[in-house]
Amino acid sequence: MAAIETQQLAREFEGGIKAVDGVDLEVAAGEIYGFLGPNGAGKTTTVRMLTTLLQPTGGRAMVAGYDVAKDAGAVRRKIGVALQEAALDPLMTGRELLELQATLHGISRKDGRERGQWLLDRVGLTLAADRRVGTYSGGMRRRLDLAAALVHTPEVLFLDEPTTGLDPVSRKAIWEEVRKLNDEGTTVFLTTQYLEEADQLADRVGIISGGLLVAEGTPTALKAEVGRPHLELCLVEQAGKEARAQVVLARFGRPLPARDGTLMVELEHGTSEVGPIVVALNQEGLDVESLDLVQPTLDDVFVHKTGQHLEGAAKEDTGEVEAIPE
Amino acid sequence: MSWQGSAATVGALVRRALNEITRVPGAAIPGVLAPAIFFLGLTSVFGSLTLLPGFTTHSYQSFLIPVSLLQGAAFTGAATGVNLARDIEQGWFDRLLASPAPRPVLLAGLVLSASLRSLLPATFLLIVGLAVGVHWPGLLGLVIALSLVMGMAVVAATWGTSLAFRFRTQSAAPVMQVGMFLAVLLTTAYAPLHLLTGWLQSVARINPVTQVVEAVRQGFTGSVTWSDTWPGYAALFGLAAVLTFFALRGMRRMTL
Amino acid sequence: MIESLATNARVVAALGNRSIKQTIRRPQLAAPLIIFPTALLAIQTAGAGRAVDLPGFPPVTNFLSFMLAGAIVQAVMMTGNSGAIAFAIDMEMRFTDRLYAAPILRSSVILGRLAATAALGAMIGAYFVVLGLIFGASINEGVPAVLWIILLTSASALAFGSIGAAIALRTNSASVVQGIFPLVFVILFLSDAFFPANLMLEPASWVAQYNPLSFIVNGIREPIIAGWSATTQLKAIASVFGVGALGFALCAGAMRGRLRRGV
Repeated sequence: MAAIETQQLAREFEGGIKAVDGVDLEVAAGEIYGFLGPNGAGKTTTVRMLTTLLQPTGGRAMVAGYDVAKDAGAVRRKIGVALQEAALDPLMTGRELLELQATLHGISRKDGRERGQWLLDRVGLTLAADRRVGTYSGGMRRRLDLAAALVHTPEVLFLDEPTTGLDPVSRKAIWEEVRKLNDEGTTVFLTTQYLEEADQLADRVGIISGGLLVAEGTPTALKAEVGRPHLELCLVEQAGKEARAQVVLARFGRPLPARDGTLMVELEHGTSEVGPIVVALNQEGLDVESLDLVQPTLDDVFVHKTGQHLEGAAKEDTGEVEAIPE
Repeated sequence: MSWQGSAATVGALVRRALNEITRVPGAAIPGVLAPAIFFLGLTSVFGSLTLLPGFTTHSYQSFLIPVSLLQGAAFTGAATGVNLARDIEQGWFDRLLASPAPRPVLLAGLVLSASLRSLLPATFLLIVGLAVGVHWPGLLGLVIALSLVMGMAVVAATWGTSLAFRFRTQSAAPVMQVGMFLAVLLTTAYAPLHLLTGWLQSVARINPVTQVVEAVRQGFTGSVTWSDTWPGYAALFGLAAVLTFFALRGMRRMTL
Repeated sequence: MIESLATNARVVAALGNRSIKQTIRRPQLAAPLIIFPTALLAIQTAGAGRAVDLPGFPPVTNFLSFMLAGAIVQAVMMTGNSGAIAFAIDMEMRFTDRLYAAPILRSSVILGRLAATAALGAMIGAYFVVLGLIFGASINEGVPAVLWIILLTSASALAFGSIGAAIALRTNSASVVQGIFPLVFVILFLSDAFFPANLMLEPASWVAQYNPLSFIVNGIREPIIAGWSATTQLKAIASVFGVGALGFALCAGAMRGRLRRGV
């Protein structure tokens, strides 16, 4: 039985806005599924439907074997949800939050306390457990949110952008935890803006754009589909020379949208073309300042399928990204 | 969910709601002081009304204190609605919605805290009132008064909660507060029924909250009788039932 | 470079205009100013209406005619409070910084806000006069009285607004200004606004007899229920000037303090 299964899942808002326009996806039990998409693509709306926070206006979705519209209560018992940082109460302590979550799931007080303590230790919040959440850092809040989602040992875990805005160390810690959970059998449905996160964690990836699923598969298979390496280069004193350069590059492969002033071209025949390209540019009086041969990434898949770069990709290395809500 | 689970959920949500006053220094003060200030002000201003022939008591303080008690309860309840609107705006409420706790249990957890919180302004007001000459209502009168005050707070909280589900924003706060404010004043608040003028007399006659005012008032202005008591409780139960219906419907619509 | 007086006048008008639009467009700001005092007027008139039968009550056609002045003053004070909150929000949002950086007199910024309050005060005065007439109040001194009431209301709004603005300038916090709100009611209770001072209970009665707000209320009330008298009107004007002078002095002091602190 699939952990998550949707058939033509759709959500229309007032004014005829189709946030989700007929999505068919399937997540096998025990899988980590990465759900990628630019802002406004329908990621959050899809997640809210799968977690019973929003009713679909079309199609259906089954989570952990239950219909999200007809058996919402049963679905809620089986899923863990870590949606946004804001779903925490600054006046409560970490421990109190976990115990409240346990109570909401009908877990007895004694069991709830034990479970809470165990989870606090697991996510590294033992020392901060009795401090108010208002004093926690961003990373601590995410860990608490994750712990809260695990209180009742869910079958399917939904993580909506779990590491957005975190520093690289905190991010790696969350990834570790997600892998461990998955090893223990939990299915994970993860939305993210980060390529690396999807690449590292996901068994399979789905890309949503404009309310439709435009690609689905393992990261390897998707990259192989797009298949080709691309060349990134900058010219000496590039200003004003881009047009001529693009003409030259077009002879060798498919020019890609430039990013941050870097010219890019997808190569048809591979690395053997690097030399000829530089020569061709020199013949036009264009000198190459820097040059990088890049193997396909999920961003390439993304650009290929949606025409845009994945939002977080450009800023990934600084480790500081603002969470941009949909 | 088992009944123990439901009770535990309600208890946990009530405890959380009380954090607003126990963990935020000074947050409770305006809510506690305001009813007493208004009580003192209004009794000083309109105190001479008792000189009118046909007024049911000589002490305007004793006559008015039930109104101030109920207004304190009403504002406490409205504040519950405002807090819920904030919780919805900030995403906290998603946590409750995504859990398997049944909707009525969640609602109970949200509104019952108001009954406990209403005891703060009520107690302070009673102390002030007794100090300026309000008649001691007797133990039975006091118990009835306080229980009705707590009930009014729950009714007001259910009202505020319905609005919070409907509007989902803190800007709806004035509607929550004004609605309750008017509900308590469109009664025999300022004078006995036969001394009210024209339209207000008609409105007060049909307003269920009038029964609540009179039931709270009895001990303070006279003796407690069953016939003055049961209409107050009946009115509160009726209002609570209707508002609970709207609140639950509003909560279910959150996911639509 | 400080621009000419004409420019500053235009700035005051423009800022005033903005403040008025702001108030009217946001229901949660407008509602307390109109709906609340109207509801209270209706309820108090109907609830305590028999008071006119009390010995010692000034001769009136009906209780509404008496209460009208109180409702007007209450609405005026709430307008002043509301304007101060909006002003404080402007400061918290740093909108005022933008204005201070412009080549205009700093006082124009405050005057703009106060001009709006005065204009709103006039509108409120007119609104309640019309409302009162519709529901049976009678204005003894007729049209001159109406014009005078609107003028006096506008001036009072300006005066109370200046106190509110001073508080906003000093505290920089909208929530503090909002907390002042109950105080507004205390001052109203300790005055002639809702009931004749001689019929109130002590010690409120004594305070009400000397409360400047009472003089202002009586200045508005007198031409409605009785005939003009120089003493009453002079006391009213003096009180408005007194409150206004205090308010402006406090504003000036608060502004100087801000300039020193570099805010």
